[in-house]
Amino acid sequence: MTTDLLALVEGCRVVVVVGAGGVGKTTVSAALALGLASRGARVAVVTIDPARRLAAALGIDALGDTPHRVDAAHVEAAGMPMRGTMDAIQLDPRATFDRLVAREAPDAAARDRILSNRIYQHLSGTVAGAQEFMAVERLHELSASGDYDVVVLDTPPARNALDFLDAPERMTRFVEGRGLRLLLGPRGGAGRLGWRALQAGGSMVMSVLERLTGAELIRDIAEFLQSFDGMYQGFSDRAAGVKDLLVSEGTRFVVVTGPRPEPSAEARALWQRLQADHYPLGALVVNRVHTHPKGGDAAPRDLASLLADAGAADPAGLAARATEALEAARARARADRHEIDALMTALGTPALVVVPALDTDPVEVAGIASITRALGRT
Amino acid sequence: MSGPPLLRRRLVFVLGKGGVGKTTVAGAMALGLADAGHHTLLVEVAGEQRSEALFGVAPPAGVTPEEVRPNLDMLSIDSERATEEYLARQLPMRPLVELMVRSRAFHQVAQAAPGLSELVTMGKVWDFATAVSDGVPVWQYIVVDAPATGHGIALLEVAGHVHELARSGPIREQAGAIERVIHHPAATGVVVVATPEDLAVSEAIEAVATLRDRGLPVAAAIMNAVRSSTVMATDEPPLAAVVAGAGADAERAAARAALDTLVAARHDADETTSLRVGTGLPVALLPQVPDLRPGSGGLERLAAALMADPALAGGT
Repeated sequence: MTTDLLALVEGCRVVVVVGAGGVGKTTVSAALALGLASRGARVAVVTIDPARRLAAALGIDALGDTPHRVDAAHVEAAGMPMRGTMDAIQLDPRATFDRLVAREAPDAAARDRILSNRIYQHLSGTVAGAQEFMAVERLHELSASGDYDVVVLDTPPARNALDFLDAPERMTRFVEGRGLRLLLGPRGGAGRLGWRALQAGGSMVMSVLERLTGAELIRDIAEFLQSFDGMYQGFSDRAAGVKDLLVSEGTRFVVVTGPRPEPSAEARALWQRLQADHYPLGALVVNRVHTHPKGGDAAPRDLASLLADAGAADPAGLAARATEALEAARARARADRHEIDALMTALGTPALVVVPALDTDPVEVAGIASITRALGRT
Repeated sequence: MSGPPLLRRRLVFVLGKGGVGKTTVAGAMALGLADAGHHTLLVEVAGEQRSEALFGVAPPAGVTPEEVRPNLDMLSIDSERATEEYLARQLPMRPLVELMVRSRAFHQVAQAAPGLSELVTMGKVWDFATAVSDGVPVWQYIVVDAPATGHGIALLEVAGHVHELARSGPIREQAGAIERVIHHPAATGVVVVATPEDLAVSEAIEAVATLRDRGLPVAAAIMNAVRSSTVMATDEPPLAAVVAGAGADAERAAARAALDTLVAARHDADETTSLRVGTGLPVALLPQVPDLRPGSGGLERLAAALMADPALAGGT
């Protein structure tokens, strides 16, 4: 009844992993990448999570913008064959943006003007969607490089987990900078009807802004937007290319959630939005699910005497506490089951992958490999 | 770290990785302070209204707090409305404000000017922190449920950035005033929330290092959803014997479940130690509460635990 996720995405060129924060998205991405690599693919996994422990778990000192190869021996030591390769990349939005500017700038002077601009220096951290845009840009870059059979993207934590879908378009509009250009000089929209009226109103807007922020800031912003002149087409083409890639046959979206109300509500909204916009949906992964303890719902009867035989100091008391613990474990499993059922009903029974809660955190390759096995039912 | 314990600071920012329960902690803290008789404001930012799940009432979105419980006001700051309000205060004429707000150029600048929406959000928080009525502060405590770590730190730093970027004009001065309050350990306290998981703990440790590096007044850490056990170490051998024995499934499952709680409690205690050692901060503990829905009493339990914790209230 649950799906083999590895088989489902095998042969895909891009797998996008989305979900609310804290559901274990990064770990699932790593486990998925590991599984595909184990089956023979050349895999890149792009993560935004700076958690060094995950890097350590993969046997890498530190993740960076350049691909780091996961040592096959390390994986095989954890009992998993490694027929392909796995590279891990940690998204560096600034480095990605720098490369994009270098590629799209008409000449070296234009490139340097942007890279040294004061606004640009602060941009990738602050402009809404810049980080998300860089994530999909990096995905496109890696996918187009031809170095990989499949790229797995662990999407950045965002207020709205789907921000990255709209990010390319938003970034393009920003670079286009029509509203501001109109005010900065006639070169953007000169000769159009109503230009004068707009400029009159606009210059008032500008003077107010200058009064509030100081003329230097406005000038810096103007300079920044002007330095993108001639790059708009490149950005726009790129945004279209990214969008094409995300909706293509070879792409699958995997929605990760935990069996709790809040991430489930977010997963439901994500799934429905992806479906409505015709993104290729792969599966729903419910991570860290408590499995029902063995023995059904029968009440323990002779626990106290068994404990007494085993030398417990207070067999009756301990039996009562253990029975309570059992009830709590059963209640947790029932609650998780209930949450999954509700989600399945709401989403029209999508392909489902249940990953059981681990006893310990997946901080070693063995831990990640055990999640890989749950994903692949192997 | 110098400065008084967290709960002696009036302005508290609750930070943490996504999914660790920031909203729950912020809500419980605000509730605890309000129940202790302090007029308290709980603030959400960036259009979030997550505390609705805790209180059964959505915080009003906009710029004006509303009372949701005795002594407890709530607000989800809407940065566009806050920007409008800011302009209205700076500009003499209403039509000019309208012109600005409707102008595409303004929105473009707002988007390109790094962090403007964060700045007006912080400006709003600053307004509340400095609001005075009859010579006393309107709110004795303001608890801000900050966005997830990276965005949360960006929010705290924005005033400093703008102060640096805008070289003149009132915005520069206003940003400077906000920056001074945010960095002042007697006024402001940042608390970092984690859950007992390796990734959450290591991210919390990194966040605390970053906060210190940027001179932000981090005061405490909170370990949320800590599991406890009623099983003692001496119970372990008999339970293990039952698990390995020939009893029925239910008996063995109960013994296994009891042992599991012990393993979980030890694990969480180890993670708490890592958090304490890694951050060098006092760490408050919150138990795992199965039900946090309004009326379940779960949030009240957490509020009481926070108020009583010496890591936040200071030792006696």
